[in-house]
Amino acid sequence: MYLGIDVGGTHTDAVALDETGIKAQVKVKTDQTDLLASVNQALVSILETVKPEVVRQLNLSTTLSTNAIVQGTTEDVGMLVIPGPGISADEYMLCRDYHVLSGATDHRGTETDRLDEDQAKAAIASCRASGVRVFGCVGKFSTRNPLHENTLRQLLGVDSDYVTLGHELGGRLNFPRRLATAYFNCAVWRVFNAFADAVEKSLAELGLGHVRVNTLKADGGTFPLAQARRMPVQSIFSGPAASVMGIIALCDITRDSVILDIGGTTTDIAVFVDGQPLVENDGINIGSHPTLVRALKVRSIGIGGDSAINVLGEAVRVGPNRLGPSLADSIPAGAGLPVNSRPTLIDALNVTGACAHGNVEASRLGMAEFAARHSIQPDMLAGQAVAAAAEAIYASTQELLAEINDKPVYTIHELLEGRRVAPGRVYLMGGPAAAMKEAVRQRFELFTVVPEHFGVANAIGAALTRNTASLELFADTEKGVMFIPALRHRENVPRTYSLADAERDAMNHMLAHLSEMGVFADRDNAQVTHASSFNMVNEGRTTGRNIRVKCQIKPGVAFTLNGQPLGQAARRTPGESLEKATGQATGKTGGRG
Amino acid sequence: MHGAKNSLGIILFPAFDWSISPTHPEREERLLYTQDQLKEEGLFDIEGVDEHKPGVATREDVERAHFCFPEVEAVATRSHMVAAGGTITAADLVMTGRHKRAFALVRPPGHHAMKVVQGSRGFCNINIEAVMIEHLREKHGVKKIAVVDTDCHHGDGTQDIYWHDPDVLFISLHQDGRTLYPGSGFPKDCGGPGALGRTINIPLPPGTGDEGYLMVMERIVLPILKDFAPELVVNSAGQDNHFTDPITNMNLTAQGYARMTELLKPDLAVLEGGYAIQGALPYVNLAIALSLAGLDYSGVREPAYDAVKHRQRPDLADYIERLCDTIPDVYFHPPKEATDGFIVPQNSGDWFVRHKDIYYDTDDITEAQTEELFLCGSCRGLLKVVSRTTKNPACLGIEIPLGACDACRSLGYSIYEEAQVKEGYRYAQFINRRDREYQRHGF
Repeated sequence: MYLGIDVGGTHTDAVALDETGIKAQVKVKTDQTDLLASVNQALVSILETVKPEVVRQLNLSTTLSTNAIVQGTTEDVGMLVIPGPGISADEYMLCRDYHVLSGATDHRGTETDRLDEDQAKAAIASCRASGVRVFGCVGKFSTRNPLHENTLRQLLGVDSDYVTLGHELGGRLNFPRRLATAYFNCAVWRVFNAFADAVEKSLAELGLGHVRVNTLKADGGTFPLAQARRMPVQSIFSGPAASVMGIIALCDITRDSVILDIGGTTTDIAVFVDGQPLVENDGINIGSHPTLVRALKVRSIGIGGDSAINVLGEAVRVGPNRLGPSLADSIPAGAGLPVNSRPTLIDALNVTGACAHGNVEASRLGMAEFAARHSIQPDMLAGQAVAAAAEAIYASTQELLAEINDKPVYTIHELLEGRRVAPGRVYLMGGPAAAMKEAVRQRFELFTVVPEHFGVANAIGAALTRNTASLELFADTEKGVMFIPALRHRENVPRTYSLADAERDAMNHMLAHLSEMGVFADRDNAQVTHASSFNMVNEGRTTGRNIRVKCQIKPGVAFTLNGQPLGQAARRTPGESLEKATGQATGKTGGRG
Repeated sequence: MHGAKNSLGIILFPAFDWSISPTHPEREERLLYTQDQLKEEGLFDIEGVDEHKPGVATREDVERAHFCFPEVEAVATRSHMVAAGGTITAADLVMTGRHKRAFALVRPPGHHAMKVVQGSRGFCNINIEAVMIEHLREKHGVKKIAVVDTDCHHGDGTQDIYWHDPDVLFISLHQDGRTLYPGSGFPKDCGGPGALGRTINIPLPPGTGDEGYLMVMERIVLPILKDFAPELVVNSAGQDNHFTDPITNMNLTAQGYARMTELLKPDLAVLEGGYAIQGALPYVNLAIALSLAGLDYSGVREPAYDAVKHRQRPDLADYIERLCDTIPDVYFHPPKEATDGFIVPQNSGDWFVRHKDIYYDTDDITEAQTEELFLCGSCRGLLKVVSRTTKNPACLGIEIPLGACDACRSLGYSIYEEAQVKEGYRYAQFINRRDREYQRHGF
């Protein structure tokens, strides 16, 4: 049995399921001040139906880290920064205890200026004096040579609670993003670990101590809780990814499609190309800071079931502000309306008859009163509000598509060159999905699907999302070094080390690392996504090769729930038709030169 | 991070699958470290700075700038077409207002490619600036353009293409031709009979550093640009003036490059040469990009920089000062007559005839060329070129220029028809810019 819990902004959704279908599902209100309580409440409800001993795995998606950052409840971080020559590191001053140190490493990983250790010691002392307990050490080109970052860790010694070294965040080049990612990782480290401790304690108390716990990432994969404790920043913004993976588990998507997850506060828009979700090419922004956190490409707009209806002159709008839950949800049956109550999108859908959610009478009364204040017929106002919501969602989708078609497009598998994305279907999920179906269909003029279990698709996605991993390998045969920053693995290689050796090593190290974490090393879904080798020449002689390899475990779901016969659920990756997936299960590795 | 003061589009095309030979300076590795540096600096995350994919130039795009013998496809690989396409993308980004400036960081380079292309010379096949300029004229109606070539080698290809063109001002700063390939580019070479003073050559002594380059910028280039008042300024941004460059002898630094760019304020910059791919290019390209975007570049410093060692020799200042005193005259008081050819009267009228011997060093081809310009008086004049090489027998190129008069247009057609009847040429190319007609014969 798989458990999935998605702690969202409005609701916490949980499901328990196995290959035969959903065994239990629950939706509770999220208490933003006590996420653990919401998780526990959901777990307790699920355990009313499901026996603890049959549960093997719990996948958790939370807004914990996001909230901590938004609400500013993060911890002070000491940043030790070694920028070397280039854009001034003062431009990226993220926090008070931000120290720029002398030292430089170049693009090939050659130390071109020594780290000033006295200066570093003084910086550390200054951080400690202001009570800093967590540190981020980030150098430019540390993914080519981590010497300076490692030296800083030694200088920090044991007298600090946690240290993030820039190169551990992965081998991708982008110093400012590495800085910001290391900073946020440190900033949420303590709050995330406290939460993880509490969750593990609760699980033990509920008889779920044996369960493997994974945390969702924004890139459509999960990683073990033990790993998340070290890299909590990766757990940020995992909610939209849970929804996207849910759709993959519920529907057999094979072509260009739009996925709309209409929640209480926001609508998340995702685009699938040939049935595969798109990924952000670089990483998401946290606040205004670009980071290295990989994510599926999802756009959020402030329109949801609880978004307030506004009338501005002739125009009727929905959102982006949310003034609490809808009247249908907040007014008990038979009770009167408060003064100046404001109907929401859900209320409008109740009035148009698209749904009958909660206290329908309260919706009617509230709409009538609000409409009278603006001298409009209530039915007309409700209709216009629903149309306005569909219009806003449509407009944002078009914007997203234009942006996608303007830039190189990356799916979870590969880079698509010169491909124009033209969606032919819309998939709807989230609470108001069924009620909004007709309005969305009319505006998009596309075949519109609302899958079964649409209300908890996000939790289903969370439950079924597989482990993913990715790493970059960099080798320089002139220096005789191979380096995998994410694993902090550095070894000497002979001058004959080739691209094929590098591809093999990258793959083996990734799979071995997963095995060490107790994760099933999924060779079938492992692929090399980039491999290049350049001859390096000096004074007319070839002196060595400069090799770069990237590999990943593709995101996917453990199995799908789209009406397959009992016991025959196939493990598959989104986008592949079932036949192809079966073919792949016979042993072909999904590698690409 | 501050946003860019001038929005900047960068077209990065490192041509990772193309080289002249595996160990040639113009090889796959050349922009590898530059790409690494720009990515690591997070340049494309800066608000207002965006990376764009290069387009691919078409045969027509190339034929607007060149006579290619035997044909475009024979002298240009796909990488050349993408590099040229990258400059077109850059031009479009600026002309459509998407960006204020654009930098085509592309290879292979192009400024040694002349009007006639029979092969590769100075690592260049297709003149990517010329392809861009002709695109700007054809598609965006730009008339007056200035090209400032800051590559260490004389931009003899660009000079040749615009020799007779009074609307394109070509200024080249380069290491003195007596000490470096291609051995040309002296102040007396200042343009054809209809464009005297629209080619300005500034040969600099070996060892010139930041000080000298900036002096030349301020005292020669900027005053001339101010007077010419072009609609667009293009910079052929070669990076081989750098003190670490293996095939030249100058002393310019990344800071000097950035300052020079800041003074020049080019709308479009196109990468040319530069072969110190580890110690110079990553830093120089970063400095130029930051400078173009109006961002602070003061922290860009190459690891090998030594303030004492890389200072310009004091005695060079006097020499360069003398250049600054005399060279502006070439533009402001050009000679009355062209001296590199002679006038031949024919029935149709007077023709200006030049003979050129051109050596394609990269491909080892020798070309003997006769270029004839019809001295029309009412338009720029019909251009006729006959080229013979060690590879191809006689080839003919005819170009009816943009804005040609009726007389030049019909003259062009009659010469082309006559050439086809007589069959004296192995290949003939006919370019009618006025009516956008491109014909080839003999393939």
